[in-house]
Formats: sequence, C-alpha cells, structure tokens
Amino acid sequence: MKRWLLVFLLIVALTGLPVFAETKTLNFLEVMTSPERTVLIKGMIGDYEASHPGVKINLISPPYEQADQKATLMLNSNQPLDIIEVRDNTIKQFVNNNKLANLGKDYRSWKEAKTLTPVAMMAAKTVNNTLYIVPQCIFVKALFVRKDILEKNGITTVPGTIADLVKTCEKITDSAKNQYGFAWRGKSSEMKFADFFASAGITDIKKDTLLYSDTKNYFTDPRYVAGMKIYIELFQKSAPKDAINWGFNEQINGFVSGITPFLMQDPDAIPLIDKMLDPNKYIVIPMPVGPTGSAYLDYGFTGLGIPSYSKNQKQAWDFISWMNSAEKNGYFCEHYGTLPVQSTAFSANKYFQGKHYTAFLTEMTNSKKYFFRPFPQSSTKWPGWDAIHTADLQSVLLGQAKLETVLTKWKEYWSK
Amino acid sequence: MSKVSYLKLDAEPKRDNGAAARYKKAAFKGTRIILLTFFLAGALLPLYWVIVTSLKGGREIYTFPIRYWPQFLTFENYSYLFKISNFQVYFRNSVLVSFFASTGALLISMLSGYALSRFRAKRIRMAFLLAMYFTQIIPAYMIMTPLYTFLARLGLSDNLLSLTVIYTGMMIAFSSIMGSGFFALIPVSMEEAAQIDGCNRIQALFQIIIPLVLPGLAAIFSFSFVNIWNELFLAVMLMSSDQNMTVPVALNSFISKAGVSWGVLSAGIVVSLLPTLVVFAVAQKYIVIGLTEGAVKE
Amino acid sequence: MRRNYNGFLFMLMIPAFLLLAVLIFFPVVKGMVIAFQNYNLNNPLSMVHFNGLDNFKAILFDTNFNFWQIIINTLIWIYVSLFFQFTLGLILALLLREPFRGRGIYSGLVFYPWALSGFAIGLIWSWMFNGQFGIVNDLLQRAHLIHLNVGFLSDPKLAMISVIIVNIWYGVPFFAIMLLAGLQSIPKELFEAAEIDGAGSVKRLFFIILPYIKTTIVSTVLLRTIWIMNFPEIIYAMTSGGPNNATNILSTQMINKLVKFYDYGQGSAVGVIIMVILFAFAFIYLKVSGAKEEGAA
Repeated sequence: MKRWLLVFLLIVALTGLPVFAETKTLNFLEVMTSPERTVLIKGMIGDYEASHPGVKINLISPPYEQADQKATLMLNSNQPLDIIEVRDNTIKQFVNNNKLANLGKDYRSWKEAKTLTPVAMMAAKTVNNTLYIVPQCIFVKALFVRKDILEKNGITTVPGTIADLVKTCEKITDSAKNQYGFAWRGKSSEMKFADFFASAGITDIKKDTLLYSDTKNYFTDPRYVAGMKIYIELFQKSAPKDAINWGFNEQINGFVSGITPFLMQDPDAIPLIDKMLDPNKYIVIPMPVGPTGSAYLDYGFTGLGIPSYSKNQKQAWDFISWMNSAEKNGYFCEHYGTLPVQSTAFSANKYFQGKHYTAFLTEMTNSKKYFFRPFPQSSTKWPGWDAIHTADLQSVLLGQAKLETVLTKWKEYWSK
Repeated sequence: MSKVSYLKLDAEPKRDNGAAARYKKAAFKGTRIILLTFFLAGALLPLYWVIVTSLKGGREIYTFPIRYWPQFLTFENYSYLFKISNFQVYFRNSVLVSFFASTGALLISMLSGYALSRFRAKRIRMAFLLAMYFTQIIPAYMIMTPLYTFLARLGLSDNLLSLTVIYTGMMIAFSSIMGSGFFALIPVSMEEAAQIDGCNRIQALFQIIIPLVLPGLAAIFSFSFVNIWNELFLAVMLMSSDQNMTVPVALNSFISKAGVSWGVLSAGIVVSLLPTLVVFAVAQKYIVIGLTEGAVKE
Repeated sequence: MRRNYNGFLFMLMIPAFLLLAVLIFFPVVKGMVIAFQNYNLNNPLSMVHFNGLDNFKAILFDTNFNFWQIIINTLIWIYVSLFFQFTLGLILALLLREPFRGRGIYSGLVFYPWALSGFAIGLIWSWMFNGQFGIVNDLLQRAHLIHLNVGFLSDPKLAMISVIIVNIWYGVPFFAIMLLAGLQSIPKELFEAAEIDGAGSVKRLFFIILPYIKTTIVSTVLLRTIWIMNFPEIIYAMTSGGPNNATNILSTQMINKLVKFYDYGQGSAVGVIIMVILFAFAFIYLKVSGAKEEGAA
C-alpha cells in the first residue's frame, strides 16, 4: 500500500502535475541575495499569498556572487520565470535579447507610478527610454564618518568639501600609529569612487545625461585630471598601501576597526555596520562637494521585471505593483537598508528620517548641489570597463604607468 | 590488520650498530617530529582563525588590535546556521550527493580503471587515457551553458538525482586514471592464477584484484567525496529551490553585496569540514593497510 | 584469446564512456563552437554568427590585458605551486607511512585544507593576508619579524607569491594521500634487498621508492597540472587578478571575459586556448613518460 502511494507521488512529482489546478505558481528570481533579505522577501510573499488566495510565489535565491549569471542562464533558456530582479548592470543585456516585457502599459494604469522618485524613474527608463522594470531599491553613496576616531585626533568638524576631506584625512594619518584617513578602494567597482572625485570639478556635465559616454567624455579635461590627482593623493597620503587591493569587505573592515574613519558607501551598509559597531560611534553625512560647490553622484538600482515569455504576466504585474507600493516598498527598504523608490515612503516611514538616513535624503532633494548622473550602462563599451579601469588605475598607483597616458587611453577607448 | 608490515624508512642496516647509529636514529626521529609539527601547524593556523571567528559576535569580528580569542564567547553563529538557515537540509543533501556520486564513480571506474591498466596495445591505452584526461582539461564554464540547456529541456534541472549523476560523470575520469595506476601495480599473473583456479574474469577482478588495490580505491573515494562536497559552480547553476541546495551553495550565500557574514560563514565552514575529516580519517586507515604481506609474489 | 581479452576490456570501458559522452563530450563541443562566434550578450543573440578566429585575435592582441603576461603568470602559477605541492606532499606521505599514535586524527587534521571550497579558501586567506588587518601581518609583527605591515596582496611581486602559497597549502594533501596510497603498494622484499645492499635513505628514495610508484606520480602530476590551471577560485577571491594583472592567469581572464564583459565568444576562446595548451601538454607528457615506462619494462 505504502509503496503504491510512493509510486503515485513520484509520478506526480515527475510529471509536475499541479495537484490543485486552481493554484497558480509564480517563479520569482532574486539576485541581490543575502540570507536576511531572503527571509524578508519570503515574509512579504507570505503576506501577499494570504491576501491573494490561489496565487503561490516560489522564490529562487541563488547566492549573490553567481546570481546574475544564473539569471542570464535561466532567461536565455526560457526557464519558467515570472518575476525577475534586474540590476543596473544586467538590464541592458536582458533587453537586448528581448527577455524583458515592456511594462509601459501597466505603468499607465498604476496609480503609484506617479509617486516614484525622479531617480527611480530615471532607473526605470535606463534602456531605450522604455519602462522594462519597476525599481525596488536605490543605492546612493554618502560619507560615513567615525566621530569617535576624529575626536580622538582632535577634530570636531566634519568635511563638507572634497578639499576638507583630503585635508582632514592627511592630518589624522599617522602610519606609525596605524591611523589612516580614507577607506580607499582599489578593486572591484573602484571606478565609482574614482569617477566621483574626478568629475566633481567639471561643471559641464550638468547639461549631460550621462557621466560619460561614447560621444562625450572628460577624461583628458584638465579639471578631470586635477580631480584624479586629488583621488590619487588621497591614496598616497592617507590610505594604507594595501588599499590598492581593497574591495567592499576591506573598506568596512577599515571603517569598523577605526583605521580609516572615512568611508563612502551605500545605505545598505548601515544595517551591516550597526551589527559590528555601536551606532552612536559614527554618523552619515552628505557626500563632500567639489570646488564648484556641487558633485555628481551615480546611483545603482535593482528592480523587478517580467520575462517576456512568462505566461503569468498579469499575475506577475499584480505582485510587482504590490511589492513596490509605497507601504510595502518602505517596509522592504527599511529592513534591507536601501533607499525607497516611492517618494511618499520617505515621509510616511519614520525610519528614513532617522539620523543615518537624512544624508541620503539631503542628497536626493538638493538638486542644486547634487546631480545624479548614471553611468553609460547602455553603451557596448560599458561591460568590462570596470576591469579595464581597475587594472589601469592600479598601474598608475604602482608607478608602472603615467596618469596622463592612462587617461588618454581611456579617452581613446570611449571615443573609438 | 595485525599482519600489516610497515616499511621503515629510517631503519638502519643491522650491521651498523653503535653510538653513531643511535645518534643518527635520534636525529631522524627529531627531524620527523619537527616536520610533522610543521605540517600540522601550517594546516591548522587558518582553521584556528576560522573557529575563533565563528565564536565571535558581530561586534568583535573586525576589532583592532586583533583578538585571538573571543572576549565574549558566543554560539549564536551556530544557532543561526541551524535555526534560521536550513543548514541541516543542505548538509543532508551534500552527504547524499557526495556519497552516492563518489561511490558510483568508484564502481564504474573499477571497471574502466582496471581495463585501462590491462590494454597491451600502447596506442589503445594512450587513446583511452587521453580521452580521460581530455575531460579534465575542460574549464567548467565551457560546458555550463550547453549542459544547463540540455538538462532544462528535459526538465531535469533543479533535481538532486541529476546532480548526483553529473557529479558521478565528473569524477569518473579522475577515478579511472588514478585507479589504473593502482591496478597496474598488480601483476597480470595474479588474475591468470585465479583463472586457473576456476574464476571467470569478472570474479578474478572483484575477488582477487580489487581487494589488493583497496588502499588506492580508498584514496580515490575520499578524493571524489571531497571534490564533490566542495563543488559550488554546477550546484548553483543547476539547483534552484532551497530544499535542493548543497553546503557550498549555502556557504556562498553568506556572501552578499553587503559583504561577508564572517561569523556565520566561519561556523558553516567548521561544520562542513566535519564529514570530510571523518572520510579522510577512515580512508587513511585503509590507505596505510597496504598490500598484505606476501600477496604480491611473482 | 587475445582479441577476446581486448573485447572484454572494451566492454569494461563502456559505462564510463557512456556517461562521459553525455555529460562532457557532447556539451563541450557545443561550448567550443561559441569560441568561433561573435557570441556577446551585449548584442542581440539573434545576431550571433561565425566570425572565424576573431575572438582569438582579440584575446591575443588585447591592449588591456597583455596575453603574454597572462601566459607567463599562468606558467609561474602552475609550476611553482606544483613543485612545492609535490615535494611537500611527498615528504608528508613519507612521514605518515610509519605508524604513530593518533595518526588517523593527525591525517584528518593535516588533510583538511583539501576539504575546503576554493572560494572559502580564497576568502579566508585574503582576510589573513590583508596588508592592514590580516593576522599574518599581525603575527609577524608580534614576533618582531617585521616592523611595517607587508602588502601581501597589494604588492605586485608579493601578490603572486601569496596566492601561490595558498595554493600550495591547499594542494599538499592531494599528493600526500595519493603518494601514501602508492607507497603502500611497494613490496617489502624490495626494501629488504636494498637494506642488505646498504643503500642510504636518499638512495632508496630515488632508486627504489620513486621509480616504483612512478605511475602514481605521472598521473597525479599531470592531473594536478591540469587542475591548477583550471583553478581560478583562489586568485579570484584574493586579488581578482590584480594588482594591475600581476596575478591574472588564463582561467581568471576567462571569467573576466564571461562575467564582466559578457563576451561569451572571447571567454570561450580563452577556454579553448586553455584546452589546446593542456591537451598538447598531456599528449607530450604521456608520450614521454610512456616511452620511458616501456623502456624500463
């Protein structure tokens, strides 16, 4: 008897026969995976399922480091997926291969589309000015400051400009005491930091839509060169030599241990740092500005899209619009640590008015001081640019190449 | 076991008695102890650091100066592993997949490894051997997409059984190549004698030859087991649902955009080492048995 | 009789090759085809077509990643790692041959590095080797062996040495176990004869032990050469091929092309280059070692 039951179950499992035909199962692939985030999303899915009988959402959570690759593999072989998390660095190639459904129509009938923040709208239209995703989280950098370490070194003010920052960093640096200034970053996506410093002096980008592109770049502009020199000086005078090989972990390590009390990071670093450091020991302030009183900030994003071949597009949209409503998006971002995409979430949710978040709010709302410029994610030059930039800048820091040579090379790379 | 004879490397010729010899012997022993300690210390330092990290709370992980013993000892990372993450499920999956795949590979390669060692014609042996080595020179990335597409089309992705079969395939070449090396040490006369005694070829292989290469097979099994135990890439790409995750995938999932969860990851590494330590310790027992005395006499 | 025997041997090979065909030979052909296509995820896949050797040219004349530097790095990475892995592995195997109390536990503890995933090894060691807050620097300072922190991973000369040290640490157990298993098969008589001849330990090692386990040595060395070449995990986690490509090897470059550039064509081209080099090496290696074997027999 038992054996027959087993055989029956096996057949059901093998043929994938839906036992309860009325239940619709949606497959949802997340890519910015972390154990805490998966738990958070699962909880929200539970809420959704409770209020939407007949819909089941199956969450697929590959580890972060392999997730984009897995997403590519699954999409390109048309695996059953209905909701997919798309990032700034994958959206272009997904669209290229017609893997994302155009959500323009759905947006029009969605009430809360109007309350999306300007940055979120920019993110949504990253490729071809078309709405392929609903952004879910926004990553913007701010300056994290270890106040306790600064006080120990007799410094009571926080830097408002890049020049201030450089000066303060140099002042407190004392390699004999293992005290440095800036959590410098020399590997994996280091160009986001280099670009921030280098572009801060150029006023012209205000008119541009991108930080640089195939048609326009400032790599050999004297102001850009000066900015790069400041960034390199910051490395030479107030960062550990080892920072040439630093990535995210090392930056955080440097900040938490107090060796480098200045850190530029995204808001999702806050929950992480809070676990390792007394939250009263540090503050988060807006990014320093360049000599012209302004700065260009890049932004990262992830959003939810629907695979073009999905058979459950309507259901999927319902879930996506639910997830990204002001209430749910605020709840999600509060626990995950990123910036909400709904402008109403900032005011409705007290968490974002907390002291560690005001810096980000300042940056997002002060449009005279901070200009959000995306990287040229649509350009074919963009993929791999990070790897080229890293190697070239490392060669400059090691004295194996001249800054000017490298900058000329970059200009050629982008103009070709 | 009692019959086992150990070859004494540092045994001095008998006629060379006297103080000088004793001194030499002591020096040998001393060097040996020093070397053994050196290997152990080198191997253990990282493990010590991992264990200490696994016993630290979040506040202590990045403290400076570095603490070599947690100020506040905690087991929260371990309880996280088993309470919040489904580690016991991943653990069970990994044990099953590793055990069955390495056993499967061992059984299949007992045949192929033996055959490889017995081909007289050099060309044939070389051709088979090269084909085996060829499977090893392929970077995993090269076969990933085709393999995935193939399995997905058959609806066999996200299935522990197909993962087991793939791992079996992955370990066959290694097991056959190493196996043939061990089989080659057994003279052909052994099975010829067995056949005269009335065994057929298969019987001769399983009853006479295989017991003789048991040390080698134990070594092969332990390596297959460990290689599979650690395999991350294929498991990530092929498995999707949480209940099909293996240990390396679970460990890798403690690395996120917001850095490495050192405490939990370290706890996971410590736990994931336990079965492999057992496998190595058990295999080592078989490995050092060696050929029983007088077994190989031509 | 002879043909019959060969037929029997061929039959024994069938299960192995059946599995290998489905799981490896068939997919790899498809994977290799990509190396000759402009398969790049930045362009629509509908535009994929054959482009001859363009991908190989692009790799060979890459201005951002000097191909010859990568080749040199790869060779250093393989052979320095291999030399020390083998030598230390052999010493450990010889040490473990004689029984001592707790040998089972000892070998479990000394072999465990092999039981770690590549990414975990890379991660742990990149933290330990960190030039600022790594415990290696800290311990060396406490022991007063150094005064200033050493940039193990940030100094281009030290970076390669550091990743190789980690690779050696990881690979010694493989040789130790395999050689130990081989050593056990040496007949006792061989040793007794040598002892009577009064051969010293060094002589015994080179003239009796090593020749006897030659097949094991030949296959383990070749396998490890192949595996080390295809083992990017440690380097990827520790330096991502940096600083300034100082530790970039063929297999990390392949990942670079696939994961960062989304250029599957060029990535596969690197893969094919790896395969061609290794196949040629394996062929020559087996021929040479096989010829000697024949001569000895």
